[in-house]
Amino acid sequence: MDRRAFLKSAASAGALAATGALSTPAISQRAAARTLRFVPQADLANFDPIWGTQYVVRNGSALVWDTLYGFDENLKPQRQMVEAEGVSADGLTWTFRLRPGLKFHDGEPVLAKDAVASLNRWAARDTLGLMIKASQDDLVAVDDRTFRWVLKKPYPKMLLALGKNSTPVCFIMPARIAATDPFKQITEYVGSGPMRFARNEWVPGGKAVFEKFADYVPRQEPSSWLAGGKRMLVDRIEWITMPDPATASAALQNGEVDWWENPIADLVPLLRNNRNVAVDIADPLGNVGVFRMNHLYPPFNDVRARRAILTAMSQEDYMRALVGDDQALWKPLPGFFTPGTALYTEEGGEILKGPRNLDVAKKLLAQSGYTNQPVTCLIGQDQPITKPQGDITADLLKRLGMNVDFAAIDWATVGARRAVKTPPGQGGWAMFHTWFAGADCINPTQFGIRANGDKAWFGWPDVPEVEAQVTAWFEAKTLEEEKAAIRRLNKAALENVVYAPTGFFLQYQAWRKNVTGIVKGPLPFFWGVGKTV
Amino acid sequence: MTPPTVTTAATPVMIAAAPELPDLFPPVKLRRGLAGFAWRHPAIAIGGALMLVMLFIAILAPYLGTLDPTAIAPARRTREPSAAFWFGTDMLGRDIYSRVLYGTRVSLTVGFAVATLASLAGLAIGLVSGFVRWADGIIMRVMDGLMSIPPILLAVALMALTRGSVGNVITAITIAEIPRVSRLVRSVVLSLREQPYVDAAVAAGTRTPMIILRHILPNTLAPMTVQATYVCASAMIIEAILSFIGAGTPPTVPSWGNIMAEGRALWQVKPYIVFFPAAFLSVTVLAVNLLGDGLRDALDPRMAKRI
Amino acid sequence: MLSYVLRRILATIPVMAVVALFVFSLLYIAPGDPAAVIAGDQATPADVERIRQSLGLDRPFLVRFGEWFWQILHGDLGTSIFTNLPVANLIAQRIEPTLSLMAVTLVLAVCVAVPMGVVAAWKAGTWIDRAIMAFAVLGFSVPVFVLGYLLAYVFALQLEWLPVQGYTPLSEGLWPWFENLILPAVALGCVYIALIARITRASILEVLQQDYIRTARAKGMGQTGILFIHALKNAAVPIVTVIGIGVALLIGGAVVTETVFAIPGVGRLTVDAILRRDYPVIQGIVLLFSFVYVLVNLIVDLLYTLLDPRIRY
Repeated sequence: MDRRAFLKSAASAGALAATGALSTPAISQRAAARTLRFVPQADLANFDPIWGTQYVVRNGSALVWDTLYGFDENLKPQRQMVEAEGVSADGLTWTFRLRPGLKFHDGEPVLAKDAVASLNRWAARDTLGLMIKASQDDLVAVDDRTFRWVLKKPYPKMLLALGKNSTPVCFIMPARIAATDPFKQITEYVGSGPMRFARNEWVPGGKAVFEKFADYVPRQEPSSWLAGGKRMLVDRIEWITMPDPATASAALQNGEVDWWENPIADLVPLLRNNRNVAVDIADPLGNVGVFRMNHLYPPFNDVRARRAILTAMSQEDYMRALVGDDQALWKPLPGFFTPGTALYTEEGGEILKGPRNLDVAKKLLAQSGYTNQPVTCLIGQDQPITKPQGDITADLLKRLGMNVDFAAIDWATVGARRAVKTPPGQGGWAMFHTWFAGADCINPTQFGIRANGDKAWFGWPDVPEVEAQVTAWFEAKTLEEEKAAIRRLNKAALENVVYAPTGFFLQYQAWRKNVTGIVKGPLPFFWGVGKTV
Repeated sequence: MTPPTVTTAATPVMIAAAPELPDLFPPVKLRRGLAGFAWRHPAIAIGGALMLVMLFIAILAPYLGTLDPTAIAPARRTREPSAAFWFGTDMLGRDIYSRVLYGTRVSLTVGFAVATLASLAGLAIGLVSGFVRWADGIIMRVMDGLMSIPPILLAVALMALTRGSVGNVITAITIAEIPRVSRLVRSVVLSLREQPYVDAAVAAGTRTPMIILRHILPNTLAPMTVQATYVCASAMIIEAILSFIGAGTPPTVPSWGNIMAEGRALWQVKPYIVFFPAAFLSVTVLAVNLLGDGLRDALDPRMAKRI
Repeated sequence: MLSYVLRRILATIPVMAVVALFVFSLLYIAPGDPAAVIAGDQATPADVERIRQSLGLDRPFLVRFGEWFWQILHGDLGTSIFTNLPVANLIAQRIEPTLSLMAVTLVLAVCVAVPMGVVAAWKAGTWIDRAIMAFAVLGFSVPVFVLGYLLAYVFALQLEWLPVQGYTPLSEGLWPWFENLILPAVALGCVYIALIARITRASILEVLQQDYIRTARAKGMGQTGILFIHALKNAAVPIVTVIGIGVALLIGGAVVTETVFAIPGVGRLTVDAILRRDYPVIQGIVLLFSFVYVLVNLIVDLLYTLLDPRIRY
């Protein structure tokens, strides 16, 4: 064929291709309005919220499974799957009745025996659940919608345990799935919640897809965090893993994603400038930075060395390193409990307040008998929260005149090495960094504050006074009693430095302006979130 | 017609009478000394000069107006380049100018160490493998195996076993580069061993090691040197990639790679954190490549162009 | 020839076995295991130990290796510890994006670099030569992620011609698939272009000095003929080697590109698995890599014999 014919056919082929490309957006626009594309804080690598307790797993599971109770925005447990409950006069027998019409994603009704099996699996892995189990007489389904939990000792915090949002959350699964060993993963993802997990579309490390479950029966009340009616306004939610924050930021600006769970603070001014993007605080309960020391071996086995750290450390430095120059994003934390919650206290926190005194700290350190032995710091390099904290600490310890042994390793190795109880010279450790969600630090159920020596969390602090106050809190009958116990606990924990809080910090979330209904909360709540085109 | 007799008296007349011919081959001015060398080999000159500048920076870093590269001051984080901080400050308030200059040491060390170690090992392996037929199969399969171990895995495993350090980075990258070098040497040797002079040497009864040393090795040196420069450049870039993953040098040891890795999330708002180390890295890699090109052109006698 | 190919293919088995053993041992001695990652930050040491036991990670080395090896011999690559999906499925899921990226990058790089190298060799010593080589070297000097960010900024954010990130499978349309791969392929390809262009130029220059080229020219052959019929063919051996080596480079560079452009490929799968210590996935991938490298190198070696009849095995 001659050149003109060739060019003509090429042009027409091109035009066809162009129309092909043009026609698809129109169709997909309707679909786009019913699809929410979300960038989660981490990759959704597994999907068993009891077996694997990462926050991202819990967040995804909240879509797929429902709970008996759920915290509302005042941190009070409200009924969710439960229609009514009752506790006997002696506080030993709890009876729960489920709402009518609850269904699993495979069409089966949710029965009391499913609740019982799920409770058993959850309790085996949860601190509070284990406590309840320890004093359990019987946990049995009475009929299809009612089940009973009989205890040997009263447990006033029962509803809190069942409704809390700290991991593991007590999700209700079908009995046959909940029968799986709590230390093994479940293999089926049949949920009781408002969205179905589209397992065949799941690309671990890439994309996770949730689809609306038409037969979900939401409660009548308006939704409030994990409580109230979970009404889904979109048909499909795609979780798109973005390992690079700069890419996520560009994708949000470009409209390729709709909602980003945790943009880094330095990128927020850029997002704010974009007229299509809205930014606000993600979780008012924030996070608490943690500097955990090893109480078993020198130098930090001596309380004076630990107090030297508290005297010298500048929470402002740590917080600026984590969240930048935005003052709205951090607060100093002279204690262990989340600011803005009922049990917050600053009792005993003077050591963390005021101008930092390096000389006093050095004197304390000298008094503790520190003789320049290497201080092994386990710093996780691949976690955006532990890495800058580690840098600040290395600098702090150097200024204190300590011999810093900076172990720059990955987070998996931190997890392995911090469990080791040998002395620092033989593969042990002296300190590591981590962080706790503020939602977990609202009360002393959190593992990090416990100080029962060998049974405590890594670092193994041993402070009998702290333990005594924890017990006092569990047994407290009124809020006043609780607060008093917490004040004493805070003081004792700071005096003995169970761990050093590096500060309280918040994070932002960002979304396109055509997305409505996004609220602040300890996890991203998808109910009530809709998209206009 | 009788030829004109050449007499001393007549010659000047004849020469004077000859027509003017254009000077087709004017004498070439032989530039001497260093300037002459630079004129003839511009690639070596520019590449070498840049490398010297980098070496100079690396060695004299403490005296070039730098501060402590690990001094943290969160109060002055992410400041734009200014008179006080020539390249600005990073997310922890550290002076980027100082970090980049001190980072020259690390990056150059990594580049040179990897290039040297990988070249030596690869040369030895490639020579033996290319020439000794029965060993070729085994050695190359071992190299294939080595190649399939991702350097990231090695780097993270080494980091987990000990801790992040320059040594680990060098080890991981060297092991990853050896197979490539050995394959290239081998391909050159494969072509060379069919040459007639090799046949002649074999026929003359020369022992294999002597053949390798005297005939094959000198001819592999030119491509080898060029390959070494590639390896050096590639090592510096792989170091940046390892830092990107979080398995590079620790933050207390600034390298261009880890400065870029730490600042990469902010590149849209604070591009200078990535820009300056990237510029230094690019210039150094450019210099190394130019040097390699120039050396190759100079070493290969067939490539000699201008007198 | 056939016996050579057969011998090479047979030789892959011991290679893969040794690699498998090496990687298994490396993972065994390196501290950090998935149990702690799974159990979460605030798990008790007892919980972590229970999980470790249920994963079978507390058994002796030989037992674990033997069991895994036996599995492999039956063609079963095992199950990922985290996702509970078969490793083979995971790799299959993630390999299409990586292969697509590599294919587009390779084609792009060769199509751009070989002509560049030929032109540079043809005009050796002139400003064209220097300009081409400078451009090529620049591509090699800038780290892939910097290039990636720049390209994304200019072409995706500012000009809005192309998407910033993501991967669209081929099944959803040719243009969407290609659209998502253009920027990553260019970013990744620049390195490759530099390498191939330089090697092409060097080998062709070398060939152009040969006597037979002078003969061909004397016989009246045109420049194009000389370049493509004689020079390129003879210069092909080092070029093909570099392409083979470059496949390895690509897999390394692909990790960065996949991270920057959020492409769910095998490169990121590897990094995520390594950082999480998902042993079956790491081992499965390394096994796959070793098979691929052996295959690629075999093809390259066979191509040598095609291109340079003097090379014999």
